[in-house]
Amino acid sequence: MSRRVMKRIVNPIIRHAVLLFLSVVWLVPIVWLVCTSFSDYPGINIRTFLPEGWTFKNYTLLFSDPDSVANFPKWFMNTFIIAIFTCLISSSFVLMVSYATSCMRFKMRKPLMNIAIILNLFPGFLTMIAIYFILKELNLTNSHLGLILVYAGSSGLGYLVAKGFFDTIPSSLRESARIEGASEDQIFLKIVIPMSKPIIVYTVINSFLAPWMDFVMAKLVLNSGLSKDWTVAIGLYNMLGKTLINSYFARFCAGGVLVSIPISVLFIIMQKFYVEGITGGAVKG
Amino acid sequence: MKSIKNFFCSIGRFFKDFGVAVVKGDIWVKLSLLIMGAGYFGRKQYVKGVLMTALQAVIIAFTVLFGLPYIGKFDTLGDVQRESVYDPALRKNVVNDYDHSFKILLFGLISIIVIIVAVVIWIRNVVSVRKLQVLAENGKHINTFREDVREFRNGKFHITLLSLPVSGIVCFTIVPLLVIILVAFTSYNKTHMPPAELFTWVGFDNFEKMFSSSLTTTFNYSFGKVLSWTLIWAVAATATTYIGGILLSMFLNNSKTKLPKMWRTFFVIAIAVPQFVSLLLVRNFFADMGIVNTICNNLGITDFLKEIGWVRSSLDHIPFLTDPTWAKFTIIIINIWVGVPYLMLIATGVLMNIPTDLTEAARIDGANGFQIFRKITMPYMLFVTGPYLVTQFVGNINNFNVIYLLTNDVYITLDQKLANSTATEVDLLVTWLFKLTQNDYNYNMASVIGIMVFIICAVFTLVAFNFMIKGDREEDFQ
Amino acid sequence: MKKKLLATLLAVALMATSLVGCGGKDDEGSKDSGNAGNTTNDGGSSDAGDTTPSGEKEDVALVMWGAEEHQTMLRTMADEFIAAYADQANITIDLGVQSEAGTKDTILTDPTAAADVFAFADDQINELVANKCLQPVVENTDAIIAANSAASIDAATVDGTLYAYPMTASNGYFMYYNKEYFTEEDVKTLDGMIAAAEAAGKQISMTVNDGWYLYSFFAGAGLTVGLEADGVTNYCTWNATDTAITGVDVANALLDICAKPGFAVLSDAEFATGVKDGSIIAGVNGTWNATTAQDAWGDNYAAVKLPTYTVAGQQAQMCSFAGFKLVGVSAYSEQPYWAMMLAEWITNETNQATRFDLTGEGPSNVNIAGTDKVLSAPAIAALASQASYATAQRVGGNYWSPAQTFGQNMADGNPNGEDLQTLLDTMVEGITAPVQ
Repeated sequence: MSRRVMKRIVNPIIRHAVLLFLSVVWLVPIVWLVCTSFSDYPGINIRTFLPEGWTFKNYTLLFSDPDSVANFPKWFMNTFIIAIFTCLISSSFVLMVSYATSCMRFKMRKPLMNIAIILNLFPGFLTMIAIYFILKELNLTNSHLGLILVYAGSSGLGYLVAKGFFDTIPSSLRESARIEGASEDQIFLKIVIPMSKPIIVYTVINSFLAPWMDFVMAKLVLNSGLSKDWTVAIGLYNMLGKTLINSYFARFCAGGVLVSIPISVLFIIMQKFYVEGITGGAVKG
Repeated sequence: MKSIKNFFCSIGRFFKDFGVAVVKGDIWVKLSLLIMGAGYFGRKQYVKGVLMTALQAVIIAFTVLFGLPYIGKFDTLGDVQRESVYDPALRKNVVNDYDHSFKILLFGLISIIVIIVAVVIWIRNVVSVRKLQVLAENGKHINTFREDVREFRNGKFHITLLSLPVSGIVCFTIVPLLVIILVAFTSYNKTHMPPAELFTWVGFDNFEKMFSSSLTTTFNYSFGKVLSWTLIWAVAATATTYIGGILLSMFLNNSKTKLPKMWRTFFVIAIAVPQFVSLLLVRNFFADMGIVNTICNNLGITDFLKEIGWVRSSLDHIPFLTDPTWAKFTIIIINIWVGVPYLMLIATGVLMNIPTDLTEAARIDGANGFQIFRKITMPYMLFVTGPYLVTQFVGNINNFNVIYLLTNDVYITLDQKLANSTATEVDLLVTWLFKLTQNDYNYNMASVIGIMVFIICAVFTLVAFNFMIKGDREEDFQ
Repeated sequence: MKKKLLATLLAVALMATSLVGCGGKDDEGSKDSGNAGNTTNDGGSSDAGDTTPSGEKEDVALVMWGAEEHQTMLRTMADEFIAAYADQANITIDLGVQSEAGTKDTILTDPTAAADVFAFADDQINELVANKCLQPVVENTDAIIAANSAASIDAATVDGTLYAYPMTASNGYFMYYNKEYFTEEDVKTLDGMIAAAEAAGKQISMTVNDGWYLYSFFAGAGLTVGLEADGVTNYCTWNATDTAITGVDVANALLDICAKPGFAVLSDAEFATGVKDGSIIAGVNGTWNATTAQDAWGDNYAAVKLPTYTVAGQQAQMCSFAGFKLVGVSAYSEQPYWAMMLAEWITNETNQATRFDLTGEGPSNVNIAGTDKVLSAPAIAALASQASYATAQRVGGNYWSPAQTFGQNMADGNPNGEDLQTLLDTMVEGITAPVQ
């Protein structure tokens, strides 16, 4: 076999074999998740990779028979509503802060940015208990509004990536608009925002996903024990408690799949924007 | 140094302006020392005058009715303990008027902040009223209220943009942070938990406890162990995901790879599953009696590892997440699984931006793929993603999810000294901090750890940025 | 330029004032800042003044926490309670999910947010009392003491005050076994059981890496752990060198046991899995796994008191913690009277009988505990015969983590080859460390 044939035939095969292997490694746990969600054994199957019996029961149970342990439809709605509001508030906060720090010049700009850097260095969990007591004084514990405020309140601090993106928009554009007599708010709303689709998509996805992923803060704020108030994350996390895992593991998997499907679809559709948005920003950091 | 000098200069100017305003101001300016709206009434800015006076009334009412009682108890954090007696006739508990140390700390702090802010507003107000006086004396135009409001859409647009997000940050980050920093200097722990008990100031006792060894506590020992693993973890996790992500994206984006989008999607699916689902799943995957162990047993891998001494002969499974060394190794591997797809996405974007003339020129000069990667791609990536890398490192120091979800309830330490202070070999400072608050209610020690994490991150960030970014290139980038 | 800062600060000030405005509405907040002399009602709510026990019907809203698996049963009990007192008050009861093992952790994070009535395992009572989270039982106290077994009342009493309502008396542990593999003689000694299991190529299990079970061996050897007078600090003699059986003897015995191929150290969940797939044929566990074992082993299902184990050349009876489930009333309940009534209702004779029927948990009520139905349940009978070797669980929070680590060390066969006396000393140091 000549070298050229090697190059043309064998190399691509090796290349794609490696890719296939890596994909398998990355997807095995996901496949296991999906398979286990169809298992007819409610606990953890430790003997075989694939379930011994297949059933839809775990999914139908999640919806048709909501009990206090698995009140999935309610959790899904709760999380969805929280996510929508969190997303609205924190996306606008992030865009507002990043636009102001990127495109406007004012005296407090540098000090504010430095403070933001310092604040970002403290571990978030440190302030949890204090936030809880502040919410309690505002009578907002055990309320979804409280949770939305927690998720969205400090979101302005995560402005760096979006700022990096705005930095790449040529300032001449804003200048010419200003000369034509546009006010600052018009420049922001009518010129810059329409140009920033990638970063908006990135910000929106990120803030929409936060409530689906968080179980620590949610558990602390929604502490009445009433499972109808929970979010998906608390509910699913709870199913893996010592006394429950043997009868709910398969249902946990089913719930996990149901949560992951919309998120995956979002991710895949938005992949392009995500890449553009995050790199536009991460380039500058 | 220059910025510090500037800072003090501006403070000096601030008070100078105030002095000038008071001395040279007319009757309206002097009156606004008492009633904040007065100066605006004098210049016919009635709406503004009413607003300022109302604000003043609110602040005074707040301070007197709410703030002062808390500030008065701030030095001791309260001295009346809660007592509750059941009254059978009323069928209720009768409770004395007790002090709640945490509320005193929280509201005392908020009140102090409000008072400081109020004083600043008051000074600013006098200065701006004096400005109005100067404008009036020179016969210049004084803005109407409508014009003032319009300013917020134009020259002061940044204030419109920033006020809400900044108040959110103050409420949900700054105030809680200050409270918790103060807690590090108190005795707030399991035996001093409000409302049943009081806590008080203890100075630097908690820091001493963290850094001096004594017979009864092992915080000092645990801190050293946990800190060193935290740093090793942060370096390993950052480096592996970074390099892995770049390699993967180069592989995927290579022109010889067919269907790059499909392959990329496979990796994206893995990160689209929420971490608490995927990590809890993986934890059961690698459990001592988990599916991976069953497979390894059946394939004879367990026996092989026993033979070469990697697994203790007394075990009948591979201790993926239960042996200190194995667990650290497994965690880093799983973190690669979690982190590489993210880096892959970022690297994809950056690689697309690499000036192709550079690589082309190198190729013409006869450089092979590896040389191009080492001499061009990698330096470019490092240059471009440097700041992101620093953020990533700090993020890994605080990477709670991976460690907590993989090891909590599963990993039992064999080190008696670590166990005595609720730490394990695989704990990061943040997970240790979290466990101290959740299981032991040891809030004061947790705060000390939190402050330490901050110091470590701050030092690292400062050093890294000084190395990487020489000067501020922000302006010329645009 | 300067007005920009002013406006920013104004925004901050407005935010702060709005924060205060809301804070003021909270009755607790305003109460704290008044003067120390006068007293107020805890409820602070409007109905505090006009409510008298004999007055017209009041509105009562209660929250009750119970284990996930008992929600349906608790709902029925709660509805019956509402019906029974319908002539006195308009009661509504919300049910919350809280595993009985974790009640303490949730409550201590914020005691004022606790449910009015909650179930918990008796090991948590000391910390709950120490942090003043429990309302002392003051309504019908004598009747409750008379109705329940002395041991269960003892477990619910701290410093002479009854703080909770006994609900079950079966939260301890004992030995499950499959009659197919063991003779009555085998189950008398741990050695005999392990030998029989090895002969069958199977395993027996015990969660040695858990302070709760680890206690069994040390207590069996006559070594002690318990609470000091302050109610939070522990004393511990597990590292004793001057006793008939020393701490090192126990540690060596543990190492021997754990090294045997017929013995496995499994968590509760792994035990259940092992029982189901047949690899585990006996194990030390509690009633919560009774149904699992019964389903898997059918007629061969049996339970017995803990066996003896070999230590320092002799046989020592393994001891246990006597476990009870208790129902407590929050000290911060706004309706302490009705909360106490509900707690009493949930734990009364009828409902303990119902609970036994539905969950298999042994009642603490003396009348129900004496019925044939209860006595004939193997798990309950095993617990009854274990009772004379069981002690109430009186250990503080510093016990668990060091004991767990020591147990793990034993289970792993002391892999780092540390000196056993040093290991014991360090563990005791951790257990007895002052809570501060």
